Amino acid sequence: MKFEVTLPGLGEDSTEVVTVSSWLASVGDELKEGDDLLELTTDKAAFYLPAPRDGVLSEQLVLDGDEINVGDIVCIFEIKA
Amino acid sequence: MPGKFPEWLRRPWASGETVGLTKDIVEGLRLHTVCQSARCPNIGECWAKGTATVMVLGDTCTRNCAFCSVPSGKPTFDDAEEPQRVAEAVRSMGLKHAVITTVARDDLPDGGAGHIAGTIRAVHALNPGTTVEILVSDFQNEPGALRCVLDAEPEIFCHNIETVQRLYPAIRDRRFSYGGALDLLRMARDYSPRAIIKSALMLGLGETAQEVETTLEHLSAASCEVICIGQYLQPSQRQTEVREFVTPRQFEDYESLAYELGFAFAVAGPFVRSSYRSEEVLETDFARRRLGAAEAGPERAQLPAEKIQR
Repeated sequence: MKFEVTLPGLGEDSTEVVTVSSWLASVGDELKEGDDLLELTTDKAAFYLPAPRDGVLSEQLVLDGDEINVGDIVCIFEIKA
Repeated sequence: MPGKFPEWLRRPWASGETVGLTKDIVEGLRLHTVCQSARCPNIGECWAKGTATVMVLGDTCTRNCAFCSVPSGKPTFDDAEEPQRVAEAVRSMGLKHAVITTVARDDLPDGGAGHIAGTIRAVHALNPGTTVEILVSDFQNEPGALRCVLDAEPEIFCHNIETVQRLYPAIRDRRFSYGGALDLLRMARDYSPRAIIKSALMLGLGETAQEVETTLEHLSAASCEVICIGQYLQPSQRQTEVREFVTPRQFEDYESLAYELGFAFAVAGPFVRSSYRSEEVLETDFARRRLGAAEAGPERAQLPAEKIQR
Protein backbone atom coordinates (compact mmCIF):
# COMPACT_ATOMS: atom_id res chain seq x y z
CA MET A 1 0.00 0.00 0.00
CA LYS A 2 1.32 3.46 -0.87
CA PHE A 3 1.47 6.24 1.71
CA GLU A 4 2.10 9.88 0.79
CA VAL A 5 4.46 11.71 3.14
CA THR A 6 3.69 15.43 3.33
CA LEU A 7 5.58 18.28 4.98
CA PRO A 8 3.63 18.90 8.18
CA GLY A 9 2.98 22.40 9.50
CA LEU A 10 4.90 23.83 12.45
CA GLY A 11 2.32 26.50 13.16
CA GLU A 12 3.93 29.08 10.95
CA ASP A 13 2.27 30.81 8.06
CA SER A 14 1.55 28.15 5.45
CA THR A 15 3.26 30.28 2.79
CA GLU A 16 6.62 29.81 4.54
CA VAL A 17 9.13 28.58 1.97
CA VAL A 18 11.32 25.69 3.02
CA THR A 19 14.35 24.56 1.03
CA VAL A 20 15.25 20.90 0.62
CA SER A 21 18.93 20.61 1.58
CA SER A 22 19.50 16.92 1.08
CA TRP A 23 17.94 13.52 1.34
CA LEU A 24 19.07 11.51 4.35
CA ALA A 25 17.46 8.29 3.10
CA SER A 26 17.60 6.58 -0.30
CA VAL A 27 14.94 4.93 -2.43
CA GLY A 28 14.59 1.34 -1.24
CA ASP A 29 15.58 2.09 2.35
CA GLU A 30 13.46 0.41 4.99
CA LEU A 31 12.74 3.09 7.57
CA LYS A 32 11.36 3.09 11.08
CA GLU A 33 9.12 5.85 12.39
CA GLY A 34 11.38 8.72 13.53
CA ASP A 35 14.33 7.85 11.26
CA ASP A 36 15.85 10.87 9.49
CA LEU A 37 14.29 11.31 6.08
CA LEU A 38 15.19 14.71 4.72
CA GLU A 39 17.19 17.78 5.73
CA LEU A 40 15.42 21.10 5.29
CA THR A 41 16.43 24.71 5.82
CA THR A 42 14.45 27.84 6.51
CA ASP A 43 15.99 31.30 6.87
CA LYS A 44 16.60 30.64 10.54
CA ALA A 45 17.76 27.06 10.98
CA ALA A 46 18.25 23.58 9.56
CA PHE A 47 15.79 20.80 10.32
CA TYR A 48 15.62 17.10 9.77
CA LEU A 49 12.25 15.64 8.88
CA PRO A 50 11.59 12.31 10.58
CA ALA A 51 9.78 9.43 8.92
CA PRO A 52 6.13 9.63 10.06
CA ARG A 53 5.74 5.83 10.20
CA ASP A 54 7.47 2.56 9.33
CA GLY A 55 7.81 1.85 5.62
CA VAL A 56 10.02 1.54 2.56
CA LEU A 57 10.93 4.76 0.76
CA SER A 58 9.71 3.99 -2.73
CA GLU A 59 9.78 7.39 -4.45
CA GLN A 60 11.34 10.82 -3.78
CA LEU A 61 9.15 13.61 -5.14
CA VAL A 62 11.35 16.59 -4.27
CA LEU A 63 14.99 17.21 -5.12
CA ASP A 64 17.89 18.86 -3.35
CA GLY A 65 17.54 22.61 -3.73
CA ASP A 66 13.76 22.55 -4.29
CA GLU A 67 11.67 25.14 -2.47
CA ILE A 68 8.59 23.56 -0.96
CA ASN A 69 5.66 24.52 1.25
CA VAL A 70 3.85 22.97 4.16
CA GLY A 71 1.44 20.38 2.81
CA ASP A 72 3.55 19.41 -0.21
CA ILE A 73 4.09 15.69 -0.77
CA VAL A 74 7.80 14.94 -0.40
CA CYS A 75 7.90 11.20 -0.97
CA ILE A 76 5.96 7.95 -1.18
CA PHE A 77 6.28 5.11 1.32
CA GLU A 78 5.36 1.54 0.57
CA ILE A 79 3.83 0.17 3.73
CA LYS A 80 2.54 -3.22 4.71
CA ALA A 81 -1.24 -3.38 4.47
CA MET B 1 27.45 35.53 6.93
CA PRO B 2 28.51 31.92 7.31
CA GLY B 3 26.90 30.05 4.44
CA LYS B 4 25.50 26.91 6.04
CA PHE B 5 24.09 26.27 9.44
CA PRO B 6 26.47 24.46 11.77
CA GLU B 7 25.53 21.07 13.19
CA TRP B 8 24.29 22.57 16.46
CA LEU B 9 21.63 24.56 14.62
CA ARG B 10 19.97 21.43 13.21
CA ARG B 11 16.83 20.27 14.94
CA PRO B 12 13.87 17.97 14.36
CA TRP B 13 10.97 19.25 12.29
CA ALA B 14 8.65 18.90 15.28
CA SER B 15 5.02 18.62 14.43
CA GLY B 16 2.02 16.56 15.34
CA GLU B 17 -1.62 16.88 16.20
CA THR B 18 -1.02 19.33 19.06
CA VAL B 19 0.53 21.85 16.67
CA GLY B 20 -2.79 22.00 14.87
CA LEU B 21 -4.71 22.33 18.11
CA THR B 22 -2.49 25.21 19.26
CA LYS B 23 -2.92 26.89 15.91
CA ASP B 24 -6.69 26.46 16.11
CA ILE B 25 -6.77 28.16 19.53
CA VAL B 26 -4.59 31.06 18.40
CA GLU B 27 -6.47 31.62 15.16
CA GLY B 28 -9.89 30.96 16.65
CA LEU B 29 -9.34 33.67 19.24
CA ARG B 30 -7.82 36.04 16.65
CA LEU B 31 -4.54 36.40 18.52
CA HIS B 32 -1.07 37.24 17.28
CA THR B 33 1.97 35.31 18.46
CA VAL B 34 5.62 36.26 18.49
CA CYS B 35 6.28 32.65 17.49
CA GLN B 36 4.85 33.41 14.06
CA SER B 37 5.74 37.10 13.73
CA ALA B 38 9.39 36.55 14.68
CA ARG B 39 9.52 33.33 12.60
CA CYS B 40 10.87 31.55 15.64
CA PRO B 41 12.69 28.27 14.94
CA ASN B 42 11.32 26.84 18.19
CA ILE B 43 7.71 27.14 17.05
CA GLY B 44 7.31 23.45 16.20
CA GLU B 45 8.66 22.27 19.55
CA CYS B 46 6.67 24.78 21.60
CA TRP B 47 3.40 24.43 19.72
CA ALA B 48 3.69 20.64 19.78
CA LYS B 49 3.76 20.99 23.58
CA GLY B 50 0.62 23.12 23.40
CA THR B 51 2.21 26.43 24.34
CA ALA B 52 2.48 29.68 22.40
CA THR B 53 3.67 33.19 23.25
CA VAL B 54 0.91 35.67 22.57
CA MET B 55 1.80 39.14 21.29
CA VAL B 56 -0.74 41.77 22.31
CA LEU B 57 -1.60 45.20 20.93
CA GLY B 58 -1.51 44.08 17.32
CA ASP B 59 1.05 42.86 14.83
CA THR B 60 2.48 46.23 13.82
CA CYS B 61 5.25 47.84 15.86
CA THR B 62 5.97 51.55 15.97
CA ARG B 63 9.68 50.83 16.12
CA ASN B 64 11.95 49.25 13.56
CA CYS B 65 14.84 47.18 14.91
CA ALA B 66 17.28 45.75 12.39
CA PHE B 67 17.04 42.21 13.75
CA CYS B 68 13.28 41.89 14.05
CA SER B 69 10.73 40.64 11.53
CA VAL B 70 7.66 42.03 13.27
CA PRO B 71 6.25 44.55 10.75
CA SER B 72 6.95 48.20 11.53
CA GLY B 73 4.48 50.95 10.73
CA LYS B 74 1.47 52.85 11.96
CA PRO B 75 -0.69 50.46 13.98
CA THR B 76 -4.43 50.41 13.58
CA PHE B 77 -5.09 47.69 16.15
CA ASP B 78 -7.55 48.76 18.82
CA ASP B 79 -9.37 45.90 20.51
CA ALA B 80 -10.51 46.23 24.10
CA GLU B 81 -11.64 42.59 24.11
CA GLU B 82 -8.20 41.17 23.40
CA PRO B 83 -7.18 40.76 27.10
CA GLN B 84 -10.14 38.48 27.69
CA ARG B 85 -9.36 36.42 24.60
CA VAL B 86 -5.76 36.01 25.74
CA ALA B 87 -7.06 34.74 29.07
CA GLU B 88 -9.30 32.27 27.24
CA ALA B 89 -6.38 31.07 25.14
CA VAL B 90 -4.31 30.46 28.27
CA ARG B 91 -7.18 28.45 29.69
CA SER B 92 -7.69 26.49 26.47
CA MET B 93 -3.99 25.63 26.30
CA GLY B 94 -3.99 24.78 30.00
CA LEU B 95 -0.90 26.90 30.63
CA LYS B 96 0.53 27.07 34.14
CA HIS B 97 2.91 29.79 32.99
CA ALA B 98 1.81 32.30 30.35
CA VAL B 99 4.34 34.42 28.47
CA ILE B 100 2.86 37.53 26.92
CA THR B 101 4.78 39.94 24.77
CA THR B 102 3.86 43.11 22.98
CA VAL B 103 4.77 45.36 20.10
CA ALA B 104 5.90 48.92 20.93
CA ARG B 105 2.95 51.33 20.76
CA ASP B 106 4.46 54.81 20.88
CA ASP B 107 1.26 56.05 19.23
CA LEU B 108 -0.77 55.43 22.39
CA PRO B 109 -0.67 57.94 25.27
CA ASP B 110 0.25 55.22 27.78
CA GLY B 111 2.32 53.14 25.35
CA GLY B 112 -0.27 50.39 25.70
CA ALA B 113 0.46 49.91 29.41
CA GLY B 114 -3.22 49.87 30.37
CA HIS B 115 -4.01 47.19 27.79
CA ILE B 116 -1.06 45.09 28.96
CA ALA B 117 -2.07 45.45 32.61
CA GLY B 118 -5.62 44.47 31.69
CA THR B 119 -4.29 41.37 29.95
CA ILE B 120 -2.25 40.31 32.99
CA ARG B 121 -5.28 40.75 35.24
CA ALA B 122 -7.58 38.89 32.86
CA VAL B 123 -5.18 35.93 32.67
CA HIS B 124 -4.84 35.78 36.44
CA ALA B 125 -8.59 36.09 36.97
CA LEU B 126 -9.56 33.31 34.56
CA ASN B 127 -6.61 31.05 35.38
CA PRO B 128 -6.02 30.96 39.14
CA GLY B 129 -2.53 29.73 39.92
CA THR B 130 -1.15 30.51 36.48
CA THR B 131 1.93 32.72 36.55
CA VAL B 132 2.35 35.52 34.03
CA GLU B 133 5.57 36.65 32.41
CA ILE B 134 5.30 39.96 30.61
CA LEU B 135 7.90 40.96 28.01
CA VAL B 136 7.58 44.65 27.21
CA SER B 137 9.05 47.48 25.19
CA ASP B 138 10.46 50.43 27.16
CA PHE B 139 7.40 52.75 27.31
CA GLN B 140 9.94 55.49 26.61
CA ASN B 141 10.92 54.93 30.27
CA GLU B 142 7.77 56.68 31.50
CA PRO B 143 7.40 55.71 35.17
CA GLY B 144 3.61 55.96 35.00
CA ALA B 145 3.38 53.32 32.28
CA LEU B 146 5.79 51.03 34.08
CA ARG B 147 3.88 51.46 37.33
CA CYS B 148 0.63 50.60 35.54
CA VAL B 149 2.05 47.29 34.26
CA LEU B 150 3.68 46.33 37.55
CA ASP B 151 0.52 47.13 39.52
CA ALA B 152 -1.09 44.23 37.64
CA GLU B 153 1.46 42.00 39.42
CA PRO B 154 3.13 39.91 36.72
CA GLU B 155 5.28 37.24 38.33
CA ILE B 156 8.08 37.89 35.82
CA PHE B 157 8.85 41.29 34.28
CA CYS B 158 11.08 41.12 31.23
CA HIS B 159 12.66 43.77 29.05
CA ASN B 160 15.25 42.55 26.60
CA ILE B 161 18.52 44.42 26.31
CA GLU B 162 19.04 42.42 23.07
CA THR B 163 22.63 43.46 22.27
CA VAL B 164 25.76 45.15 23.60
CA GLN B 165 26.07 48.91 23.97
CA ARG B 166 28.31 49.50 20.92
CA LEU B 167 25.86 47.78 18.56
CA TYR B 168 22.73 49.59 19.77
CA PRO B 169 22.72 52.23 16.98
CA ALA B 170 22.99 49.54 14.29
CA ILE B 171 20.68 46.93 15.78
CA ARG B 172 18.02 48.72 17.79
CA ASP B 173 15.49 51.34 16.72
CA ARG B 174 16.94 54.77 17.54
CA ARG B 175 14.32 55.31 20.25
CA PHE B 176 15.77 52.48 22.34
CA SER B 177 18.86 53.16 24.39
CA TYR B 178 21.18 50.81 26.23
CA GLY B 179 21.15 52.96 29.36
CA GLY B 180 17.39 53.29 29.12
CA ALA B 181 16.98 49.52 29.14
CA LEU B 182 19.11 49.24 32.28
CA ASP B 183 17.15 52.07 33.92
CA LEU B 184 13.85 50.35 33.13
CA LEU B 185 14.96 47.08 34.72
CA ARG B 186 16.27 48.89 37.79
CA MET B 187 13.05 50.89 38.15
CA ALA B 188 11.00 47.72 37.88
CA ARG B 189 13.07 46.09 40.61
CA ASP B 190 12.73 49.12 42.90
CA TYR B 191 8.99 49.41 42.40
CA SER B 192 8.04 45.76 42.48
CA PRO B 193 10.06 43.75 45.03
CA ARG B 194 8.09 40.58 44.27
CA ALA B 195 8.44 40.46 40.49
CA ILE B 196 11.32 38.48 39.05
CA ILE B 197 13.32 40.79 36.76
CA LYS B 198 14.53 39.29 33.53
CA SER B 199 16.30 40.23 30.31
CA ALA B 200 17.69 38.56 27.20
CA LEU B 201 20.69 38.99 24.97
CA MET B 202 21.28 37.85 21.38
CA LEU B 203 24.76 36.85 20.25
CA GLY B 204 26.26 36.55 16.78
CA LEU B 205 25.79 40.20 15.80
CA GLY B 206 29.48 41.09 15.92
CA GLU B 207 29.92 41.63 19.66
CA THR B 208 33.12 40.64 21.44
CA ALA B 209 33.36 38.34 24.46
CA GLN B 210 34.48 41.31 26.57
CA GLU B 211 31.41 43.27 25.49
CA VAL B 212 29.16 40.38 26.45
CA GLU B 213 30.79 40.24 29.88
CA THR B 214 30.40 43.98 30.35
CA THR B 215 26.73 43.79 29.37
CA LEU B 216 26.13 41.00 31.87
CA GLU B 217 27.87 43.08 34.56
CA HIS B 218 25.66 46.07 33.75
CA LEU B 219 22.50 43.94 33.85
CA SER B 220 23.46 42.39 37.16
CA ALA B 221 24.22 45.83 38.60
CA ALA B 222 20.78 46.95 37.39
CA SER B 223 19.21 44.23 39.56
CA CYS B 224 18.35 41.95 36.67
CA GLU B 225 18.05 38.43 38.09
CA VAL B 226 17.33 36.17 35.15
CA ILE B 227 19.19 36.23 31.84
CA CYS B 228 18.63 34.32 28.60
CA ILE B 229 21.40 34.27 26.01
CA GLY B 230 20.77 32.89 22.52
CA GLN B 231 22.01 32.90 18.95
CA TYR B 232 20.68 35.64 16.66
CA LEU B 233 19.19 34.06 13.55
CA GLN B 234 18.25 36.18 10.55
CA PRO B 235 14.48 35.88 10.02
CA SER B 236 14.67 36.86 6.32
CA GLN B 237 16.90 38.71 3.90
CA ARG B 238 15.39 42.00 5.09
CA GLN B 239 16.99 41.80 8.52
CA THR B 240 20.60 42.26 9.55
CA GLU B 241 22.96 39.37 8.80
CA VAL B 242 24.38 36.89 11.28
CA ARG B 243 28.08 37.72 11.84
CA GLU B 244 29.00 34.62 13.80
CA PHE B 245 27.58 31.31 14.95
CA VAL B 246 28.48 31.06 18.61
CA THR B 247 29.39 27.53 19.66
CA PRO B 248 27.54 25.56 22.35
CA ARG B 249 30.76 25.60 24.41
CA GLN B 250 30.87 29.40 24.30
CA PHE B 251 27.24 29.53 25.40
CA GLU B 252 28.08 27.27 28.35
CA ASP B 253 30.89 29.61 29.32
CA TYR B 254 28.57 32.63 29.20
CA GLU B 255 26.00 30.81 31.33
CA SER B 256 28.66 30.05 33.95
CA LEU B 257 29.85 33.65 33.80
CA ALA B 258 26.31 34.91 34.42
CA TYR B 259 26.07 32.86 37.61
CA GLU B 260 29.49 34.15 38.71
CA LEU B 261 28.21 37.68 38.20
CA GLY B 262 25.28 37.06 40.53
CA PHE B 263 22.32 36.15 38.34
CA ALA B 264 19.86 33.93 40.16
CA PHE B 265 19.03 32.00 36.97
CA ALA B 266 20.80 31.92 33.62
CA VAL B 267 20.22 29.93 30.50
CA ALA B 268 22.35 30.14 27.37
CA GLY B 269 22.30 28.13 24.15
CA PRO B 270 21.85 28.44 20.41
CA PHE B 271 18.05 28.14 20.45
CA VAL B 272 17.44 29.97 23.73
CA ARG B 273 14.90 32.79 23.45
CA SER B 274 13.38 34.82 26.26
CA SER B 275 10.13 32.88 26.05
CA TYR B 276 11.63 29.44 25.32
CA ARG B 277 11.08 27.05 28.27
CA SER B 278 10.72 30.13 30.41
CA GLU B 279 8.77 28.25 33.06
CA GLU B 280 11.97 26.51 34.21
CA VAL B 281 12.97 29.43 36.43
CA LEU B 282 9.80 28.88 38.45
CA GLU B 283 11.10 25.49 39.53
CA THR B 284 14.05 27.06 41.37
CA ASP B 285 14.20 27.78 45.10
CA PHE B 286 14.94 31.39 44.19
CA ALA B 287 11.60 31.77 42.41
CA ARG B 288 9.67 29.85 45.07
CA ARG B 289 11.06 32.09 47.79
CA ARG B 290 10.38 35.23 45.81
CA LEU B 291 6.86 34.44 44.67
CA GLY B 292 5.93 32.86 47.97
CA ALA B 293 6.92 36.01 49.79
CA ALA B 294 4.21 38.24 48.38
CA GLU B 295 2.93 39.39 51.72
CA ALA B 296 6.26 39.63 53.48
CA GLY B 297 8.16 41.52 50.79
CA PRO B 298 9.77 44.90 51.39
CA GLU B 299 7.89 48.12 50.82
CA ARG B 300 7.63 49.38 47.28
CA ALA B 301 9.94 52.22 46.39
CA GLN B 302 8.61 55.39 44.82
CA LEU B 303 9.35 55.68 41.13
CA PRO B 304 10.56 59.09 39.93
CA ALA B 305 7.72 61.32 38.80
CA GLU B 306 9.46 62.06 35.52
CA LYS B 307 11.47 59.79 33.29
CA ILE B 308 15.24 59.84 33.59
CA GLN B 309 16.72 61.91 30.79
CA ARG B 310 19.60 60.40 28.82
